[in-house]
Amino acid sequence: MSTRTRRLPSLGGRRTLALLAPLLALDVLVFLVPTAYLLRVSLTARTPGGAFVEGSWALDGYRYVTETSLVHEILAFTLFFAVLVTALAVAVGVVYAYAAWCATGWTRTLLLGGAVCSLFTTLVVKLFAVLLVYSPQGLVNDLLRAVGLASEPVLLVDNLAGAVIGQLYIVVPYAILAVYAVLSSLNTQLVEAARDLGADGSGVFREVVLPHVRPGIAVAAVIAFTWSVGAYPAPLLLGSGSEQTVGILVSQLLLARFDWPAAAALSVVTAGTVFGSLLVVLWRLDLAGGLLDA
Amino acid sequence: MRERLLNAAGRGVVAVLLCLLVLPLAVVVATAFDASGAVAFPPRGLSTRWFSALLASSTWLQALLNSLVVATGTSALSTAVGVAAALGVRQLDEGRRRAVVALAVLPLLVPGVIIGVTTLTLFSQFGLQQSYVALVLAHSLWATPLAFSVIQASFARFDWQLHEAALDLGATPIRAFTGVVAPNVRAGLAVAALVAFVVSLQEFVIALFLSGPDTRTVPVAAWNSLRQSLDPVVSVVSALLLVAVVGLVVVVGALAGVGRFASDL
Repeated sequence: MSTRTRRLPSLGGRRTLALLAPLLALDVLVFLVPTAYLLRVSLTARTPGGAFVEGSWALDGYRYVTETSLVHEILAFTLFFAVLVTALAVAVGVVYAYAAWCATGWTRTLLLGGAVCSLFTTLVVKLFAVLLVYSPQGLVNDLLRAVGLASEPVLLVDNLAGAVIGQLYIVVPYAILAVYAVLSSLNTQLVEAARDLGADGSGVFREVVLPHVRPGIAVAAVIAFTWSVGAYPAPLLLGSGSEQTVGILVSQLLLARFDWPAAAALSVVTAGTVFGSLLVVLWRLDLAGGLLDA
Repeated sequence: MRERLLNAAGRGVVAVLLCLLVLPLAVVVATAFDASGAVAFPPRGLSTRWFSALLASSTWLQALLNSLVVATGTSALSTAVGVAAALGVRQLDEGRRRAVVALAVLPLLVPGVIIGVTTLTLFSQFGLQQSYVALVLAHSLWATPLAFSVIQASFARFDWQLHEAALDLGATPIRAFTGVVAPNVRAGLAVAALVAFVVSLQEFVIALFLSGPDTRTVPVAAWNSLRQSLDPVVSVVSALLLVAVVGLVVVVGALAGVGRFASDL
């Protein structure tokens, strides 16, 4: 305590603390404390009579997670799903953001406005619309048949493709804007210099643009991955019974089976997996610094 | 010069991507005006009868009211917390500022399902589940870091010597903020408030866990009715939400410029 008052000029320090207090209170009380409480619930005993046995200490929840083979399958599918969605979302995000950056005037406004509108549309509406557009009688299938790419309706909902498409509509707008935010700081003169030195369009993109947007790609990948590991509405509405994700199982355990220790343990394992894999990837790619700068 | 960077093939791909991105949104608006009641595209005959059906439904009106209450509360709380924090971090050294920013951003990196589960388990201990307070607090976890970053960006463009001049001339810190800083960062504050409002308005997964029959927001009500049958009123509500969001984005775009807004976010 005494060292702290000595290091900060007392009045300014107290004012800074007072200004930061609401933010810290919000994040501690509504985020860190509930997370600690969830950790505690994950260590209680399961009971058929209610949510959990208060005050008990047990590893029931974790035993359920490690010993049920269905849970393993669901975890494996969720990771596969998240990696697939992340790869596609980052690819689309980079191409789209680069196009928006290259464009000028109305074209740029249109491209960015489209992404922002999609970002701010509730995902229920988006998924409902995706269901209409991609169903066998929907617009996309009509178009595919009209241009002769398909003779039979292509099944794009109620399967893995549907779940992936739905999840992409949720994360792609974030990916676009994350990449664009970094791209907007790219100096046009660098690109012009590269062209003057003889680079063609794809050379400029590979040698100048991609290295510059690496932090943006990292942010886009982190958002797409974490949100897809927690995917819930998209696979539920647009997938079939075999596109079960951890999110769906957690909500079933919590709301339908009232098995709180199992739900809490599974949430803890999922959050741990997310943060663990992010740390490994960021460490391997050495992008951690870039992520905090962005 | 910039436009020539993208060749014809690249432009085609981007045009397709843009269409795929906004097509579903257009389809929802179109189906809201479908006369037949079959939720299909293209609509067969135009009608506004489903708008009347919405106005006659007390459940949907309650959901709209709930959404407005929660979004307004989230917007007010997040903007206030964001302004205070943005003022606070200015006086911190680099390391501490990073720590505060990291803590603020952390909830954005946690999937909604997990935030829903954790806040539900805790709030239910205090009987706060299914209350407006629970929804506003949980939505603020996501809205605050976004409002904070928009406000920080607009503070960065402000000439803080003006603020110091006001303090030197004897203004109290509150007077210096409301009289000198706020008028100059008005657009940034408005954008932050709108962003927080829209984040709450469109949020679904957390609301699904935390809302009850009396506090159900529009996305949750839409989800519930979608899971039962394709109700044309869902299209109408969706179209209204969409028009509200597009309207707000246009306002924000006019205030801040879409490009700057997209990169501040």
